[in-house]
Amino acid sequence: MDRGARWPIHLALVAVSVAMLVPFYWVLKTSVSGDNIFAYPPSVIPRAPHPFYYVDVWYYIPFARYFLNSVAVSAIAVVANVGLNAMAGFALTRGFAGKSIVLLLFLSCMMVPFQATIIPAYLITGRLGLLDSYLGLALPQCSTIVCIFVFKASFEAVPSSLVDAARIDGLSEFGIIWRVMMPLAKAAVATNVILSFIWSWNNFLWPLIVTRSADMQTLPLGLARFLSYQEDTTGALYAFCVMVLAPGILLFLLAQKQFIQGLAAGATKA
Amino acid sequence: MTGQEDFVPRARWRAWLLNRFVLVPAALALIAALWNGYVALHDHGLVTGRVVDAAGRPVAGATVVLWVLEFTTYVEKSRATTGPDGVFTIHDNPSHNIQLAAEKPGVGRSARIPVRLYFRAEDLALREPLVLEGGG
Repeated sequence: MDRGARWPIHLALVAVSVAMLVPFYWVLKTSVSGDNIFAYPPSVIPRAPHPFYYVDVWYYIPFARYFLNSVAVSAIAVVANVGLNAMAGFALTRGFAGKSIVLLLFLSCMMVPFQATIIPAYLITGRLGLLDSYLGLALPQCSTIVCIFVFKASFEAVPSSLVDAARIDGLSEFGIIWRVMMPLAKAAVATNVILSFIWSWNNFLWPLIVTRSADMQTLPLGLARFLSYQEDTTGALYAFCVMVLAPGILLFLLAQKQFIQGLAAGATKA
Repeated sequence: MTGQEDFVPRARWRAWLLNRFVLVPAALALIAALWNGYVALHDHGLVTGRVVDAAGRPVAGATVVLWVLEFTTYVEKSRATTGPDGVFTIHDNPSHNIQLAAEKPGVGRSARIPVRLYFRAEDLALREPLVLEGGG
């Protein structure tokens, strides 16, 4: 297709992009202006923008504490995801008895919603003594099946002769994963990091159930708490949303190239 | 040979440090540190300003009241009295969302003005004076 014929496609893509970005712009605009969403006529440009709704959010709730909790829980989830999923993905590239059953089990489990397993997950976490702790908050998200398949697809692209050569050189299976496979699977690592971070960062239901003290609450719970005791929250609520969204967006922007590569590889080879 | 051995670790360190995954968080951390330093130097809770009458003359002995937002309502926090030049200083503002008003019997009272600050107890010098009106 020549360049002249591409403009309708580009036009359509720009229109779709604008349609998808408008809600984000609206949140950002309202966070600095406090304009009521139902105001008519709507103003596209914020009137008298100011940053004080962000200041309000910072002081009305213990934002720094919630932020620290979210960072700690997400960090545990990211590290565990990269480590555990890489090992699982590597195992699934090897031949072993019952591999097809394991794969079938994984695919079946993807269809079970988390809400259906939340009671056993809670009981297990309680038996482990991890309720109201960072590890307990991160536990159900320490490994995700989608991310295992992303690693599996990435590892399958590595020639088996390379793995054999590493084994002949005396590397253990762990050594092969960390010193041979992982450096060749940067896109899969980035995908794992971003997905596990965003899922953990945005998680609401599990922290709501597992946390008992206010000091262990994460940002999504803070948002709910904020909504519960503020009446006029238009500007501050949107400012809170921006503050919650910003780390995830920043992480995505930093690693978007590897993220898209990893997802594309996972989509075609899982 | 020695030069090559020196070069390789240095290049590796450079690759680790000079990439966006390190530079962006480092820049954010630097901005946060600078902001916290600025806050630490300017959070004494001082509020200063002037009180004038309708003709613009300084008013001595006027009472200035500071309200701070607590939960959903403004409550009175402290009071100060203006000096001979109409200047007042409040030393104990703990809030980032305050209101100020002045009053002197016989001269009048000012409108209650809302003031938003960038952080709690930020030192503030009012640009516009509080104007007393309606005292007859």
